Amino acid sequence: MYDVTRPEAELDPSEIKFAARKVQVFYGADQAIKDVDIDIQDKTVTSFIGPSGCGKSTFLRCLNRMNDTIDICRIEGEIKLDGQDIYARSVDPVQLRAKVGMVFQKPNPFPKSIYDNVAYGPKIHGMARKKADLDEVVETALRDAGLWGEVKDRLDTPGTGLSGGQQQRLCIARAVATRPEVLLMDEPCSALDPIATAQIEELIDKLRAQYSVVIVTHSMQQAGRISQKTAFFHLGNLVEYGDTDTIFTNPQDPRTESYITGRIG
Amino acid sequence: MTDSTAARHDWASPEFSAHLRKRKRSEFMLKSLGIGAISIAFGALALLIGSLVSTGYPAFTQTHLVVEAEIDRDLMDPENPRDGNFRQLARDIVTNRVVLGADTDNTDRLTDILSNRAQFTLRDMVEANPDLIGETVEVRLPVADNYDQLHKGMLDRDTPEEIRRLSDREIEIFDQLVEGGFVAKPFNWALFANADSRFPEVAGLKGAIIGSAYALLVCFLLSFPVGIGAAIYLEEFAPKNRISDLIEININNLAAVPSVVFGLLGLAVFIGWFGMPRSVPFVGGMTLALMTLPTIIIATRAAIKSVPPSIREAALGVGASKQQVVFGHVLPLAMPGILTGTIIGLAQALGETAPLLLIGMNAFITSAPGTPFDSSTALPTQIFIWADSPERGFVSRTSAAILVLLTFLITMNAIAIFLRQKFQRKW
Repeated sequence: MYDVTRPEAELDPSEIKFAARKVQVFYGADQAIKDVDIDIQDKTVTSFIGPSGCGKSTFLRCLNRMNDTIDICRIEGEIKLDGQDIYARSVDPVQLRAKVGMVFQKPNPFPKSIYDNVAYGPKIHGMARKKADLDEVVETALRDAGLWGEVKDRLDTPGTGLSGGQQQRLCIARAVATRPEVLLMDEPCSALDPIATAQIEELIDKLRAQYSVVIVTHSMQQAGRISQKTAFFHLGNLVEYGDTDTIFTNPQDPRTESYITGRIG
Repeated sequence: MTDSTAARHDWASPEFSAHLRKRKRSEFMLKSLGIGAISIAFGALALLIGSLVSTGYPAFTQTHLVVEAEIDRDLMDPENPRDGNFRQLARDIVTNRVVLGADTDNTDRLTDILSNRAQFTLRDMVEANPDLIGETVEVRLPVADNYDQLHKGMLDRDTPEEIRRLSDREIEIFDQLVEGGFVAKPFNWALFANADSRFPEVAGLKGAIIGSAYALLVCFLLSFPVGIGAAIYLEEFAPKNRISDLIEININNLAAVPSVVFGLLGLAVFIGWFGMPRSVPFVGGMTLALMTLPTIIIATRAAIKSVPPSIREAALGVGASKQQVVFGHVLPLAMPGILTGTIIGLAQALGETAPLLLIGMNAFITSAPGTPFDSSTALPTQIFIWADSPERGFVSRTSAAILVLLTFLITMNAIAIFLRQKFQRKW
């Protein structure tokens, strides 16, 4: 197996956001993730690529404990966020998820107004006491998500009335409204047309300045365009992890090379 | 590459067209069967409603004697009008309006034209307003069932006198009243304003309607919160293991238990064990709640299940707690389904007869209940009682009561549809 610990030496440890060691995920008796070790850097876009069913989404969902909601799912190993084990008993998953935002494959705005969609997170976490503060949080989040100009005059219309691409940016606005430190994205563009995809990709590049972004994608071109780091998963193993340029131009593992060149997938 | 010309299908071959015709024929057959099934269902419904309306419509009017009559000062004491001789007053009102022939020997029978309760109608009128004593006022009195039937044309005058319920003489006297313009047939408000009575001409549904309303209220207040609470716990919080599976199976089984069994349970537990009074809507409501509870739990669980998981994930993803997800997102989205299920469950409870029979809500009670703890009947048990009564007037009243019950059921279902439309949200 490719030695994933090697690039760690080149990283400044203070920049490491997530440090995962020997992570194993089981669904009942099936093992979905085997011995994954990975360090995810802050203020970087990291792509998870790999064929369907390779465990990349499962691993992503471990990072904000979304897998806790699945009864038969069991996780072993250690994942540290800023040096703290997120699976420790003292960690409240609710708090963790405020810190680690998530955007899903299918745009899933709440059946509420655009304003309420964005304001929901800040409201439940008590981040804005006054209406004026909340207005500001909503505006900032929508601006960050590049949606403000399109919706500023119709904040009280239902979020579900927007187009697919706008809905996905609304979901990004909702995720960034709680000022998370990490943004997890599970194939955020797979349900979108190329123009909407381009907008989201541009947005992800901008978000890198403030957040650590981890994105699962089926499109290798997308991974190449937007990410600085790429991790290749295959059959539950993290096969190769490194700079995106290296992975795409000079893969170390034959399985990575086969996938990149389209022989498996 | 294979030789594509050799393998090409001949789309114009006779075999193919025959096959196509066969497929079209079977499709046509299926469609016809469906239309046939729906026609049969509609026909049966039309037959039911038609027969109920045709037998029930006479009950919506009531024959009254409408006359100007003097409230005779000699028959009562103005200080204590309650003890007046209103029976005599009623008799005078009739005898004063008809020309009696030579055979006036049997004037007692003249009072039989009026309902046996007419004297009490007069009494209540005078008691409410003692100033009427000595005055001449217009009085409206229900006529007795046989004369009501006669006036509605449901008593055949051609029947031989000896087997007819009214003699020639009686018919003659009544016809005199009709000719004098003293007989009217207005809408029968008494059907809704009176409680039950032995006399069909004054029997009404007030007690049954109020009794049913109280029972449904108790049933709703018990089964709605408990049902939703149980469904939320089972669907959202309970661990999925053998025990929760067992509970689920048992709830599904409970929904299929015959209602008479719940009646026995109510009789044994609420009345026998807890010593609650029989025939009261409160116990009826509790018994119906036992029966409605599984329906509401199943409907609520189905509604909660149908909320897309993406909405839960979205809320969890921004850091909502389980409880915030359930109350902020899942329940509002499941509400139309929950309300529909609840109203359908309550409608079922409204029409349920067997459990109410067992806890004694088929008692003969002539006053409407003031509280849920007073004895009363309910609509279905009232129908049961009236269907059992021999008087001719109860035949049409039974059908009328069924129509009233059906109207309530249709209204409740309409409310269910309205709520579904109103609360339905798209995602």
